[in-house]
Amino acid sequence: MSKPKLGIFSLTGCGGDQLQILNMEDQLLDLVSRFDIVDFQEGSSRKVDGDIDIAFVEGTVSTEHDLKKLKEIRARSNVLIALGNCAIEGCIQSMRNGETTLSERLKDVYGVEEGFFDAKLSKPITEYVDVEFSIPGCPVEKEETLRGITSLLHGDSPPYYSYPVCVECKLNEYPCVIVEEGKPCLGPLIRAGCNARCPSLGLDCIGCRGPVEGAENFAAEYQMLLDKGYTKQDIMNRLRVFCGELGDDFLGGGDDE
Amino acid sequence: MTESLYKVITKEELSQFGYALRETGTIYAPVKTSKESHSFKQVDTLTEADLEYHRTMIPPKKFFISPKETIFTFNKEKEEYNETPAVNEPLVLFGVHPCDINALNLLAKVYLESFTDKYYSERRENTTIIGISCTPDEYCFCKSTGTDYAREGFELFLHDIGDRYLVRVGSLKGYNLLQKHASLFREVTEEDLSLYRQAEKKRLASFTKSLEMSGLQDMLDMSYNSPIWEEYGEKCLCCGSCNLVCPRCRCYDVQDYIDLNLNTGQRERKWYSCMLKEHGLVAGGHNFRATSAERLRNRVNCKGSLKEDMTNCVGCGRCSAYCPAGIDYVEILQKIRGDIE
Ligand code: SF4
Ligand code: SF4
Ligand code: SF4
Ligand code: SF4
Repeated sequence: MSKPKLGIFSLTGCGGDQLQILNMEDQLLDLVSRFDIVDFQEGSSRKVDGDIDIAFVEGTVSTEHDLKKLKEIRARSNVLIALGNCAIEGCIQSMRNGETTLSERLKDVYGVEEGFFDAKLSKPITEYVDVEFSIPGCPVEKEETLRGITSLLHGDSPPYYSYPVCVECKLNEYPCVIVEEGKPCLGPLIRAGCNARCPSLGLDCIGCRGPVEGAENFAAEYQMLLDKGYTKQDIMNRLRVFCGELGDDFLGGGDDE
Repeated sequence: MTESLYKVITKEELSQFGYALRETGTIYAPVKTSKESHSFKQVDTLTEADLEYHRTMIPPKKFFISPKETIFTFNKEKEEYNETPAVNEPLVLFGVHPCDINALNLLAKVYLESFTDKYYSERRENTTIIGISCTPDEYCFCKSTGTDYAREGFELFLHDIGDRYLVRVGSLKGYNLLQKHASLFREVTEEDLSLYRQAEKKRLASFTKSLEMSGLQDMLDMSYNSPIWEEYGEKCLCCGSCNLVCPRCRCYDVQDYIDLNLNTGQRERKWYSCMLKEHGLVAGGHNFRATSAERLRNRVNCKGSLKEDMTNCVGCGRCSAYCPAGIDYVEILQKIRGDIE
């Protein structure tokens, strides 16, 4: 049987998710030997056209070029996986969506309101194409990514975290920074999988893995933080960084563009 | 005269007893780990322990059912299957409160009676439990649940009666321990008994939280459609903490993982919570408890129901003390009773 064709693509982003794959030093050779790698910008200059069995895409769609590239990848790929939070929720690049427009930002930064290259308002790839799976994180966790790829090779769905960071705090016996110190921890809203790295250091979760699927508790978290004396602005700023426009959605925030 | 099953040890001599117990097993005792939390941690001497603690965040259940563990590994080609050994070393759990001892007794029924969990049974076999009396704080309500006194499920129990402890024997293993270290213990005097009476009186009078249990089960049964579930469901963060800190919760999740070689792998189990969305998810995508209100109702009904003449809840107060949303379990049940508005 021939090896499955694997493509790892970047749109606009820091490239940190591809780097995490390269960082799996102990497994990397074993991993790449199991695939025919048709595209992996950070790992190889080899590029092969044609159909792809599994495509990973990191980054946001922030230019017309990104969008064209994404649609081409989708058309070539059997399974498309959103890799990292830019691709899933838009991450840091989308944090001001719903708050400022693209032309306001262009004016602030470049002094022109339009026509700056082919810039678009940054959006996750999930806004434009269907994805079969996603692997969250900013950047993705090596172990989780490896488990995801392994599952696909084995013919299973990649495992995913349907529960929040708090579960990992409890399983590791980390004291809760909300209960103990009243810190504005977003852990109750955010996908586990980081093994509660920030709370393990006494830090409040800032949400870098994005919200748990179907999180229904934004309003409860918002109210809890208001009751602790945080302002609406504090809370929204915090939510916007990694939760895209989801934070706005529940509070009925305005649309953009 | 038959030999008394009550002895006395002075607080001074307790540290020697702690030292001597190292022959029996590795000692774990409550240690202060942060402003609001204690944890059962390995100690060399009892001076590292805080025996006046109110509660550990994670209950001693963790020694019998691990928060997360690999239960077996496999190798498909070799057709091998290797169970992880349940026990590595004998343990001494020093300073376990009555609520937690009662919680373990009830857990043992779940894990040992119909289907024996080999981890639970082997670990319990290899553990020596030394109980200790406590003073309630604003979250404790074990007096209401009838779990403020431990009748069984320990080797020795220490009642703090001032500068000494009254020691109660709870098992043959405990009796043998006393025999082995007989020189550290002495017989009970009239004065000790009178100190015990006073200490008990003082302890019972210091409970500030209470929950009337009579009829509660019926009221819960009939409150399925109560607006209370929505009221608290709206505040709930669905974080699962309340279940994960509960000494009586027993739900766990099991997952298999295969390695990149597609040949070897392992099965892992970890604690789980019914406040998490997937707890009620079944094949086909239907969820029995899709909303936080439904999940909260399930949790309170599970904990509030009667089992073996006791409720499923031992009144330790953890779920309220460690809820980041500040949801108070007792308050919910007081509303169900109509005791408060
Ligand atoms: S520290 Fe944050 S993530 Fe951890 S239990 Fe508390 S709220 Fe949840
Ligand atoms: S339900 Fe709450 S008070 Fe009762 S045993 Fe569990 S954690 Fe303790
Ligand atoms: S159903 Fe919920 S409350 Fe009952 S044991 Fe399981 S996690 Fe605990
Ligand atoms: S600990 Fe509190 S917020 Fe978290 S699931 Fe339980 S009741 Fe809800």
